Amino acid sequence: MNQTTSSFRKRVMQQPWDLWWIQALRLTRIEVKRNLFSWRASWIYFLAFIPTLIILIHVAVGRRLQLSMDDDTEILAGIIQFYYIRLGIFFGCLGIFSRLIRGEMIERSLHFYFLSPVRREVILLAKFAAGSISALLLFGSAILADFILTYTVFGATGHDYIFNGPGLGQLEAYLMITVLACLGYGAVFLLLSLIFKNPTPAAMIVMGWEAINPIAPSLLQKISVASYLRHLMPVNVPAEGIFALLTVQTEAESVWTATLGLLVLIVLVLVYSCYRIRTFEIRYTTE
Amino acid sequence: MSETNDLIIFDDVSKFYGEVLGVNRISLSIPPGITTLVGPNGSGKTTLMNLMTGLVQPSSGHISVMGLTPGDVAEFFRNVGYCTQFDFFPRGLNGWEFIFDSLMLHGMDEVDAFGLTTEALQRVRLGDAAGRKIAGYSKGMRQKIRLAQAIAHRPRVLVLDEPLNGLDPMARAESIALFEELGRQGMHLLISSHILDEVDRISDRVVLITGGYLVAQGNIQQVRQEVRDKPMQVLIRCDRPELLASRMFAVDHCVEARVHADGKGVFLRTGDVDQFYSMLNGIAAEGLVKIDAVAPADDDANAIYQYLIGSDGSAS
Amino acid sequence: MSVHKNTYRAYTGPVTPLWMRVFVLARYGFAEAWSSKITITLFTLSLLPVIVFLVGIYLANNPIAQSLILKNSHRMLTVDASFFLGALQMQSWIALVLTAWITPRLISFDLADNALPILLSHPISRFGYLFGKFIAIFGSLSVVTWVPCLLLFVYQCYASTQPWAAANLSIAAGMFVGAIIWIGFLSILGLALSSWVKWRVVATAVIFGAVFVPAGVGAIVNAVLRTQWGLLLNIPVTMSVLWQRLLGAPEFLRRGSSLPTTAIVAVLVLACLLCLAMLNARIRAREVVRG
Repeated sequence: MNQTTSSFRKRVMQQPWDLWWIQALRLTRIEVKRNLFSWRASWIYFLAFIPTLIILIHVAVGRRLQLSMDDDTEILAGIIQFYYIRLGIFFGCLGIFSRLIRGEMIERSLHFYFLSPVRREVILLAKFAAGSISALLLFGSAILADFILTYTVFGATGHDYIFNGPGLGQLEAYLMITVLACLGYGAVFLLLSLIFKNPTPAAMIVMGWEAINPIAPSLLQKISVASYLRHLMPVNVPAEGIFALLTVQTEAESVWTATLGLLVLIVLVLVYSCYRIRTFEIRYTTE
Repeated sequence: MSETNDLIIFDDVSKFYGEVLGVNRISLSIPPGITTLVGPNGSGKTTLMNLMTGLVQPSSGHISVMGLTPGDVAEFFRNVGYCTQFDFFPRGLNGWEFIFDSLMLHGMDEVDAFGLTTEALQRVRLGDAAGRKIAGYSKGMRQKIRLAQAIAHRPRVLVLDEPLNGLDPMARAESIALFEELGRQGMHLLISSHILDEVDRISDRVVLITGGYLVAQGNIQQVRQEVRDKPMQVLIRCDRPELLASRMFAVDHCVEARVHADGKGVFLRTGDVDQFYSMLNGIAAEGLVKIDAVAPADDDANAIYQYLIGSDGSAS
Repeated sequence: MSVHKNTYRAYTGPVTPLWMRVFVLARYGFAEAWSSKITITLFTLSLLPVIVFLVGIYLANNPIAQSLILKNSHRMLTVDASFFLGALQMQSWIALVLTAWITPRLISFDLADNALPILLSHPISRFGYLFGKFIAIFGSLSVVTWVPCLLLFVYQCYASTQPWAAANLSIAAGMFVGAIIWIGFLSILGLALSSWVKWRVVATAVIFGAVFVPAGVGAIVNAVLRTQWGLLLNIPVTMSVLWQRLLGAPEFLRRGSSLPTTAIVAVLVLACLLCLAMLNARIRAREVVRG
């Protein structure tokens, strides 16, 4: 047993980790640049910052309205739970992560990566890292801007709410949710793009699944990104009609269980993606 | 290094795309030098190259390139360069970045990558356009930048899929000279091309493939010799070509005679090479015709292609 | 003087009128759309709700079956404007899914393969090209929307023991007009987005996104700016309100009740004009060469 463990450890140590790290860094840098600094990415900026723009208008005209901080706190939580998680990050990650492998296949440039002396698993993980960094930078900064703008309008009371009240804790939770949503949806869409030539119909099924997941049996609830994220929301959002379905919390879970559960889900999806990419074939003519 | 570690080996390799045959039961052993892969469109040339480099997986069989398999990515692609015929590039890159980035992925430091990028661009004479976006390149320039990327890391095996497509005559001549030079230096070159008469001049051997099946392989002259059922054409340089033609044409195995355009030779096509040479010796001994030179006129890849595959692409 | 024997003759035979050539593209569009197994699957799935509604009509008009099957139910099954509104809404969602699947096949393939310059080098105009594609998608969507809905209406007319048809013709007219507006809008939207994003995979996602994301943005506008006008960005809600009014069904959507019909129509017209501008910018006989 000890011999097996030590031989495994020896094998692991013999791997060229330094080279893989350099290759991954280089690939990530190339991908992040392409994800963030091209005209094609402008629609993701739109998705991320359109709520910021609306809140900015609210700030501009809000001084003339009688506003309640409790109402605005609920609205911000609603924007994050309904808009960012269900639509903005969902479609943003669908665009970013589907493009990483399937997009290269469509543009017929994937073979350049596969012909480089880089392990396919390293390519996949580097691309995933690049997609995650891009999505996090965009949606994280958008949510940070939304948060700051929402409380700016209240002046000193808003400042007090952020630094002496629950504000910073909420911001931390929102950013944590953003990170997990980007990683979770990213991993799922990356895998879907490896499996399907057109991952969108499958993504729409995922969207439907995420919506009906709260009424699914408890075991099935574990196979959902949004179900974990619901447990991390710092503010309860009152919802009516069909939106109530999206806020239901059927299985009580601690923050750490939800976070770890989602991370395990992400790791499992990535491991399977690594397995898929090893036998992934370049067949441009069938795209 | 053992002898097999110098070879590219296809061992009973088949590839099926669903129900469509890519290649079927290909067994090949390719030594160093320049090898031309010849076959009509859709014959399986690109599939063979993609199989060799791991872009597609074989349905059955085994492939090794100098003892390496594409599964061993780092070692394999350090030794192999593949210039594909896909005319697409990663978006937004200029020529320099395209090569430099790929070299950085080999784990080189920036100084080495810089030097090798410069060298590769100079070899394909694309130094001046290196700073421009590839999107703005002409078809010939895109072909050149792909070639530069394939040779930049100084591989031991270079796989070139239709490398002369889109090149003007001058660039074609330069590319062929480059292949010749690389071949002389001991590199493995596997070239597929439709411009047979140009590639043929520098090829050490030929692999003929059609409909996914291997038709013939080996040294061009050897392959020609083995095609015994096809009449062979010989050019005989002499002072009285008409007389020689009439004498040779009198025998059964000589099926065609055509006087050379300059009037100082005759092309003779014969079905029995041994008898032909024996009769030619007799005529020379008689002294009626002064023979200056005798050379096979159809032992090039083009002729073999015509014989074995035919103009319609179906193997005969 | 050399004598040249000219044997080549240009074609001088009869040709079809210009307007008929549009149908060549439409025919190829239909073939392309229905060559996919997923299209066939979606079409088959679209029949399931129709069957359910058909059974509903049968039960509503058969007191014995109703008493046997719905014996413990206090609710009576009635076939009225709300019943047909449900059918129309269900079929309209399926039409959205079909649009997202079919329209990229009609346009994106041509753009991705740079086939437009070849197509437009024939004696057919840009409008003719688009109209041909429009017919293909509009026809395909008709098969899952107003056609089955009107067939349900016809069956209700036949099955009803009371003289029902004459008094309820406005429902049929409302369903027809409502479905035509929806599939017309979807067709133009699908074609415009497919022409803009070029790649089929992305186009499918963008068509869904174009319906759902503005709805989310509209909800933010409503919540943050304390207004109801954000609902105009919510296409599913605005269409539901429009259909309710066209069919004369009671307006169960409290949130949509404040939206004037003219505002809804204006938004739809504006969206269509935007789509036409997008199509005008993209459908051109030019080849995009990129690296």
